[in-house]
Amino acid sequence: MSKSARAEFWDEFRENRIALFSLGLVGIITLAALFAPLIAPQDPYDLANLSLLDARRPPGFVGSGGYVHLLGTDPQGRDLASAILYGLRVSIQIGLAAGGVALMIGTCLGILAAYSGGRIEMTIMRVVDLQLSFPAILLALVLVAMLGQGKAQLIGALVAAQYAYFARTAYGAAKTERAKDYVEAALATPLSAGRVIWRHILPNCLPPLIVVATVQIANSISLEATLSFLGLGLPVTEPSLGMLISNGFRYMMSGRYWISVYPGIALIVLIVSINVVGDQIRDQLNPRLRK
Amino acid sequence: MTQPVLEVCGLTTHFFTRHGEVPAVRNVSFSLQAGEVLGLVGESGSGKSVTGFSILGLVDAPGRVVSGSVKLNGRELVGLPDAELRARRGLEISMIFQDPIATLNPMLSIGDQMRMALFAHEKLSLKAANARCIDLLRRVGITHPEAGLKAYPHEYSGGMRQRVAISIALLHNPSVIIADEPTTALDVSIQAQILTEMRDLVKETGTALIWISHDLAVVASLASRLAVMYRGEIIETGPTYEVLRNPSQDYTANLLAALPSNTEPGQLLAHGGQVPPVPPVREAGLLPEKGDFLNVSGANRVFSSNVSLGEKIAGLIGAGNQRPSTHAVKDVTLCVRRGEILGLVGESGSGKSTLGRLMAGILPPTSGQVLLDDAPVRHAGKKATLRIQTVFQDPFASLNPRMKVGHAIVEGALAHKLIKTPEASDYVQGWFERVGLEPEWAERYPHQFSGGQRQRVAIARALAMQPDVLICDEPVASLDVSIQAQIINLFLELQRGLGLTMVFISHDLSVVRHLSDRVAVMYLGEIVEIGTTEEIYNQPNHKYTKRLLDAIPVLDLN
Repeated sequence: MSKSARAEFWDEFRENRIALFSLGLVGIITLAALFAPLIAPQDPYDLANLSLLDARRPPGFVGSGGYVHLLGTDPQGRDLASAILYGLRVSIQIGLAAGGVALMIGTCLGILAAYSGGRIEMTIMRVVDLQLSFPAILLALVLVAMLGQGKAQLIGALVAAQYAYFARTAYGAAKTERAKDYVEAALATPLSAGRVIWRHILPNCLPPLIVVATVQIANSISLEATLSFLGLGLPVTEPSLGMLISNGFRYMMSGRYWISVYPGIALIVLIVSINVVGDQIRDQLNPRLRK
Repeated sequence: MTQPVLEVCGLTTHFFTRHGEVPAVRNVSFSLQAGEVLGLVGESGSGKSVTGFSILGLVDAPGRVVSGSVKLNGRELVGLPDAELRARRGLEISMIFQDPIATLNPMLSIGDQMRMALFAHEKLSLKAANARCIDLLRRVGITHPEAGLKAYPHEYSGGMRQRVAISIALLHNPSVIIADEPTTALDVSIQAQILTEMRDLVKETGTALIWISHDLAVVASLASRLAVMYRGEIIETGPTYEVLRNPSQDYTANLLAALPSNTEPGQLLAHGGQVPPVPPVREAGLLPEKGDFLNVSGANRVFSSNVSLGEKIAGLIGAGNQRPSTHAVKDVTLCVRRGEILGLVGESGSGKSTLGRLMAGILPPTSGQVLLDDAPVRHAGKKATLRIQTVFQDPFASLNPRMKVGHAIVEGALAHKLIKTPEASDYVQGWFERVGLEPEWAERYPHQFSGGQRQRVAIARALAMQPDVLICDEPVASLDVSIQAQIINLFLELQRGLGLTMVFISHDLSVVRHLSDRVAVMYLGEIVEIGTTEEIYNQPNHKYTKRLLDAIPVLDLN
């Protein structure tokens, strides 16, 4: 994309106020997560900081640390505001890592299938089809149960559950590009297959992949939260948003709403704003939806 | 003089885009008498189609008729509400569009579509309606019109579909028909038939016709009056032959001079732009001698449709229907001599593009072989030579939209180590100059160029591989006449300067005549005739060649 095209893309993006607002939210949340150790009043991973005397206190309570627990505390006596900031950090990390790795693997497989055709295409795409017929959560559950707990295992499971979406998208886009004249021109030069794929087909397949990537990052985050909520995600010592929600779930009916609700709100805001940004990018990149 | 059926006065249409207001039609005025044929000519972007749409009130947002008036049979059309405009469209004024494949609904039978158009304005019994449709289909030259009513558009060829579209336009015997490039998408022989039929139909029905086209020869064969459009304005209007013989505007004169049929073959076309003389790149000793060079012997190419697993099973239980394979190139033997330009002509589907791809080594022949200097052009499933390069038809599709043009030009040369990385930028500049582009444009992307400039880039890209043979597949077909003249001049200069051997594939016989030393005529996958350009054009032997030559509309000004 040339500079002017980029500027034009941005101008059009800005016209949608809601998308612009969502982009701002995503930015703020990411920054807050990034600088969590500086902003958060407490390090929720350090068990020495926690006191059971402060457990399950409502928002506004001044605890043994001498500061206000803005959003209350959880059953372990963690400051919820800090836990949410650190939880977002984990969620975004896992979302980006899983989305990124799935993007790379899926794109490679999809383009390879579209470019080579024949048996390779048949094999890759049937595996992808087979996998898409299972719900992603089911696959992720089975994999996490097999691989065990931990960040790397979780990311591995999410990648395995999600690469198929990228493979499908990349395959469709690459199949279209493969048939275009400029690819034929490159092959007629002749240029090597690797160069044609890397320099010609891949850059032209990127727009739909960027759209899928935004949506899938949001999906990874919610999948991770789901797994953690079910107690299959990260260990209890690393509170992610899903686990915080799960921790408070038991107390929902006893009036201690804040333990579940605030992490829930943080999760929803993050996922919805990523999706709104993704939708706007999709609308702009899809010529058929343009005015 | 009687009252004109259509009177257009000061018609102005603007498009309101993100980048500001773009005037597409400016202050266009003309009038049309009953039975008159007005030719509206101009190059792409001149506003001729938008003029047609504006008259019918069919300009889509962001376009809008800003001012002016259109009087149809004395009644103002501009500013009428949609419902009233709809009541006139089809009944008093109708339109024929360029692409007959896109204008007919593929889901409805032709009879359904005709009856729909008929019932929109008239109440009559089904029987009477069918009779009327059959009568019209017969008049536009459809054989078996009764069966035609039940047929679906895909069962008809492009020419037949355009005839159906014409018959729908004629249903209510409107006083004006606007035809927007109705024969551009068709082959020359079909075009010739439709032009003859249109001439008769206009005479018979007394309908006034506005014929929009970029092709002066087509318009001249039909229109009694000519209006030349340029940048949204009608710059010249008058009786056809007067305008063509004594154009009062420079633009019209240039347009005429740019036609290859008006110039001695092999000469540079007037107003084709200055092409810098090309310095020879090879050592004198390596300049090609005459003689056989690129040899095609007994080449066949069959496209068999891929049979999927499901279809195989269907075939086994006897439920499948066999899809026929296409024999695109049949037993072609041909030699191209060193340093010559061989023209390859034929109508669509004749296999000329496939033959070009076989010669370029892009496709493998199903049987037979293609040899360059006795070495096969393909080896081990891959193109094996750099000495043959290709220029494709559509410069908008043949350049990677996300690669800077400078990079596109050197990519192949770098990949095959014809040059070293530090020389790359000088190399690009050199080729840019040779094809007549500004060297500083190397950093731009394809979308920042016009069609003609893009085709220059595509030519530079092919030449940067330092080929001996250049295969050009319809390289000027998608360009305007004046741009076409520039590119033809460029080819002539380059061929002389570089001693290139060229195969020039085209459906346009006048372009081929202008450029080629020898011409091969293809019909249904076979080469039916081959010979020097004079022989083919002056004494064609094969009846297909004769038919093809007769079908070209010639601008005969005497």
